[in-house]
Amino acid sequence: MEKEKVRIGFYALTSCYGCQLQFAMMDEILQLIPRAEIVCWYMIERDSYEDEPVDIAFIEGSVSTEEEAELVKRIRENAKVVVAVGACATQGGVQSWEQEKSLEELWKAVYGDAKVKFQPKLAKPVDEYIKVDYRIYGCPPEKRDFLYALGTFLVGSWPEDIDYPVCVECRLKGNSCILIEKGEPCLGPLTRAGCDARCPGFGVACIGCRGAIDYDVAWFDSLARTFREKGLTKEEILQRMKIFNGHNPRLEEMVEKVFQGVEE
Amino acid sequence: MKEIYLPITVDHIARVEGKGGVEIVVGDDGVKEVRLNIIEGPRFFEAITVGKKLEEALAVYPRICSFCSAAHKLTAVEAAEKAVGFEPREEIQALREVLYIGDMIESHALHLYLLVLPDYLGYSSPLKMVEEYRKEINIALELKNLGGWMMDELGSRAIHQENAVLGGFGKLPGKGTLELMKKRLAEALPKAEYTFELFTKLEQYAEVEGPIIHMAVRPRNDVYGIYGDAISVSDGFEFPSEDYKKHMVERVVEHSFAKHSFYNGEKPFMTGAISRLTNHADKLYGRAKELYESHRELFRPTNPFTNNLAQALELVYFTERAMDLIDEALARWPVRPRDEVEVRDGFGVATTEAPRGILVYALGVKDGRVSHADIITPTAFNLAMMEEHVRMMAEKHYNDEPERLKLLAEMVVRAYDPCISCSVHVARL
Repeated sequence: MEKEKVRIGFYALTSCYGCQLQFAMMDEILQLIPRAEIVCWYMIERDSYEDEPVDIAFIEGSVSTEEEAELVKRIRENAKVVVAVGACATQGGVQSWEQEKSLEELWKAVYGDAKVKFQPKLAKPVDEYIKVDYRIYGCPPEKRDFLYALGTFLVGSWPEDIDYPVCVECRLKGNSCILIEKGEPCLGPLTRAGCDARCPGFGVACIGCRGAIDYDVAWFDSLARTFREKGLTKEEILQRMKIFNGHNPRLEEMVEKVFQGVEE
Repeated sequence: MKEIYLPITVDHIARVEGKGGVEIVVGDDGVKEVRLNIIEGPRFFEAITVGKKLEEALAVYPRICSFCSAAHKLTAVEAAEKAVGFEPREEIQALREVLYIGDMIESHALHLYLLVLPDYLGYSSPLKMVEEYRKEINIALELKNLGGWMMDELGSRAIHQENAVLGGFGKLPGKGTLELMKKRLAEALPKAEYTFELFTKLEQYAEVEGPIIHMAVRPRNDVYGIYGDAISVSDGFEFPSEDYKKHMVERVVEHSFAKHSFYNGEKPFMTGAISRLTNHADKLYGRAKELYESHRELFRPTNPFTNNLAQALELVYFTERAMDLIDEALARWPVRPRDEVEVRDGFGVATTEAPRGILVYALGVKDGRVSHADIITPTAFNLAMMEEHVRMMAEKHYNDEPERLKLLAEMVVRAYDPCISCSVHVARL
């Protein structure tokens, strides 16, 4: 008897489409096709239906218009499992970097007095509107993030979160430490792992695209000392963390903790 | 007498990057209105990066668009380097162009095979073509994998490259990797040529035939390519990149989060592969030049569908070009990846040819922070012209079945290879 196909939807809110592109670029997709039914995936399928029931809904992008706020509610109603994919859907994305200015100020800076017939909103992560069941992090996520999540769902299990920072992977790879040796503001110690320390491997400081780690496993004490020795201030680290963590309520507390007791 | 309007809408154009729709309003006596609705939300990139540290802003700009993130990264870096008064060494410039070509190869292969071809073969999605068109799908995967791998090696990854920084690269691949890259490019060349042959056979719909103003970056050193400091117009005019605001004038239109651009404030214009060929085919060389000359009559600068064929020719050209650029870098091996850059105050404009056309970055730098940012993407430049061509198609086909008209309208849009999400955050000064 033929096994029932898993119904999958890939939905985009406001984003660069990189998560979907990463997904579409996986040759492994071809192996998935016999087992899945693509119900909605506008980027590659013309026969796409936004309001059909699905087993797994992957949502990319941040909620940035009224229409998108409505769309995510409908997706939630139609889906068994909702997966927020990438930095925009999970953390608001780089469009949430600026946290000081109001929507009106941002609009004025770019569009002046002009109006359009849609209603823009300040960018927010998907879980500010609906319950999210699982998150795939990264800007963009690694291919293996998709394969792991999808594979786990397909065997009827549940994927686990990563609970250690990029530094762990960076040490395992044997890279020299950008923070210690070059004094650059590498966010590896505070950022969720899973990228195999991709950027530090290229000698480029981590920009934190996978978001702040949820667990208190960063090496706070030694880190505070190192940041201070390298002349990096709390404000500098906080600003850099905000590129991908605009909506993270734990951020200030986390950075505060890192710098605890450190006189500047 | 009351008029009855029949709106034909494509709420969400499939198989493009980003979210946009077409609205065609038909009355008793023909097409009333045609609108290309760009419904992707605004992301305010310029507004959120002004005041931020230059290097952090440079990490954020590529996130404007995943399909051409390397194009965004490299154009932003060049604008920043011009602003602070730094000029990279020639071998670094060559390797950056190889990275950019990785993006070009991946993007063109993806667009041609996965986004365009299904329409011509009668499929709604490339995934459904797999059984019958295995060879084509394999070529598509091979070319996009090659482009992706070039970006992995030189840019750190295929989407949102971090390994292109002020002064050069964080790290360069070894000599062996570059030699392997050259070998893989050579192996890909026949597949690029197959792609070109395939696309010479596709229809170019005469319904949208008419004069088009083409704009393209004048390539440096008179060799067909990506980087340049002036913009050429198909009417013979040419202007330095710094003057882009004088001749590529933007306006907000109410049905779109993206602005429209007009040449000298009046006329829509086109940019992209066919515009590059229209204005600069004389600077091609190698196999692509031969193919261009032997198929000259197919490259009609009056027809936007020719853009597909032009991209296919560019697959051949850029594959060969990347091999030459790798040779240039290898001739100076070992190459030091990065120079120190003193971040002084200043202002710089960079114009390059992204896969889908002219990309402009104007950046001001003060005290190590971005003091001014204006970014205009090819899709934003193309929108007014694209809308015009959808109108031409609609005027010819408004009596057809709505499904047919919808498909044709979408095909016009797809021929431009638009990145809709990238068009939605255009700055005002």
